[in-house]
Amino acid sequence: MAPFLDYIQFVLAPQMITGLSLGVAVVLVALGLTIIFGLLDVINMAHGEFYAMGAYLALALGAAGVNFWLLLVLVPLIMVPIGYVVERGLIQRVFNSPDRHVTTLLLTFGLGLVVEEGLKIVFGPNTQRPPTPISGAVEVLGVLLPNYRLFLIVVGVAIVAAVALVVNKTRYGAIVRAAAYDRNMAASLGVPVSRVFALTFAFGVALAALAGVLLAPIYSVFPTMGRDFIFLAFTVVIVGGMGSIMGAVIAGLVITQIQALASLIVSPVWGDPIVFSVMVLVLVMRPQGLFGRLGHA
Amino acid sequence: MRDPSTVLVRPVQDRLTLAMRASHVLVAIFVALALAFAAIGVAIDDTFYLRLATEALIFSGLALSVDILLGYTGLLSLGQALYFGLGAYVSALVLQRVPSFWAAMAAALVACVIVGALAGLIVYRVRGVYFALVTFGLAQVAAKAVYNTRELGASDGLIGIPVVPVDLGFGTVQSNAPAGFFLITLGVIVVLYLAVAYLFETPFGRVLIALRANERRVPFLGYSPRAARLAAYVLAAVVAGLSGALYPMLRGFVSPELLFFSTSGNAIITVVTGGVGTLAGALYGGVILTVLKSVIGSWTPHHLVVIGLLFMAAVIFLPKGLMGLVRPWIERLLRRTAR
Repeated sequence: MAPFLDYIQFVLAPQMITGLSLGVAVVLVALGLTIIFGLLDVINMAHGEFYAMGAYLALALGAAGVNFWLLLVLVPLIMVPIGYVVERGLIQRVFNSPDRHVTTLLLTFGLGLVVEEGLKIVFGPNTQRPPTPISGAVEVLGVLLPNYRLFLIVVGVAIVAAVALVVNKTRYGAIVRAAAYDRNMAASLGVPVSRVFALTFAFGVALAALAGVLLAPIYSVFPTMGRDFIFLAFTVVIVGGMGSIMGAVIAGLVITQIQALASLIVSPVWGDPIVFSVMVLVLVMRPQGLFGRLGHA
Repeated sequence: MRDPSTVLVRPVQDRLTLAMRASHVLVAIFVALALAFAAIGVAIDDTFYLRLATEALIFSGLALSVDILLGYTGLLSLGQALYFGLGAYVSALVLQRVPSFWAAMAAALVACVIVGALAGLIVYRVRGVYFALVTFGLAQVAAKAVYNTRELGASDGLIGIPVVPVDLGFGTVQSNAPAGFFLITLGVIVVLYLAVAYLFETPFGRVLIALRANERRVPFLGYSPRAARLAAYVLAAVVAGLSGALYPMLRGFVSPELLFFSTSGNAIITVVTGGVGTLAGALYGGVILTVLKSVIGSWTPHHLVVIGLLFMAAVIFLPKGLMGLVRPWIERLLRRTAR
């Protein structure tokens, strides 16, 4: 019995907790992605680059002496106007083209390319790592957990809960859901639909940037950081159901747990193939994903 | 009263046939320019530009395969590099054992048909956004697998692919002869173009175009959308794979980068700037992108910023790409001469 308990305490539990902090990170990135898709019907291929922008902004402002806690508020606020302008200036231009999915996907793909290269020009191609704002570690259930990861999990849960509350319980959320459900009807009831679209896009972008600020101390900062993360985030969004907040949360946590536990058995390099197999299985059995779309519940 | 049979006998000049003829004209111009380029290359004894142009042609073949899916079926593949890389690796493995051009091409063809059909069984269920992301995921997994397999050279790839003699029946060309191999590549790409163009003129091709226009109506006309989508996917896989098979002959190595997303992404940029749904656009796009990269790359290492901006401008302002500017003009010319 003792070796079994040791296995749980020293192998399984640390792995699962590391998986949980990755899971919260992925959910944060996927949250903005799924909201943008749920409302605008737009696949934001540049989402990973907005995440990277958030991390770089945190890095630059942090180096300029701005407090980490202030960054958590400041960086998303800086990104809101950027997201607003991107939606108004680029996405609206092709929003009514016959094949919206493909056209917006191509456009945001191009945008991602430009942003990524722009980050390389401004900050250089090298990996940088901001200092961890909270040092030390605590013991949870006999597992040594860095304080910052614990903080990340708590803050992540709080952010997701706050977003879900805003979308589902407030008047603003109702406006967003109405616009997602029936754009024309919402417009005729006086909802300023195009402004709602732009603001929601900006909100999704701000969420990505916030994830960037939070994750930079753990996963380091480099120009292609968004590209590496976005595959996982997209998988989470697909499995959970495009446009579902609940789906993104559950799929994000489950998939990262599968990945974490699988890496105990097989080499971690096979993490991506395993995640992909999960996505394919879900798509084959339930093409719309596990949960319904935002506003279509 | 008009005899209905005369209507049937008269060669039907519909919009799609006319558009395809205009593409043929554009490709004929392309081939003429390429031959002139090769002649100049031989005359001034150039190697660098001929080999660069050969590489551009090879990537045009990959772009052609993206256009089969995007331009004709309305499916955006974010992972066409999977088949390009598959063709390249299979070709390299064969060439290391048997230095035969035809054996390498045949092996790449067979491999792409098999893998394309197997992957197609997953992919043909989905469309739209899901198609894009599943193809992206497939390529990502394949790239990771190759990158971590020591037998395939892992991150280094396979190096030291021998020079291969290409037996054409009437003579032999060595794959390291710049002009000779440029012409071979041009020949392969043109054959691929003609084969695809021919298939699109058959009822199969019309079903694909119908799928793009309105998928829900296709079953009511007695066609299976899924079967057509699967066929288009395998066709695109073969075109990408045969183009990729030429790569190790030109460069003498293959690397996992061929499977990476940037390769797929470049092919998409090529097609969109060249002109989606024109086939000829893929060929011109490949050359334009290569020229842009070399020219801008000589000023700044960050040429992707400029290319990305041009690409975004093309998506917004030129939904039909450069061919969308030129082809209607040729169509008008053709219609006038047909009368």
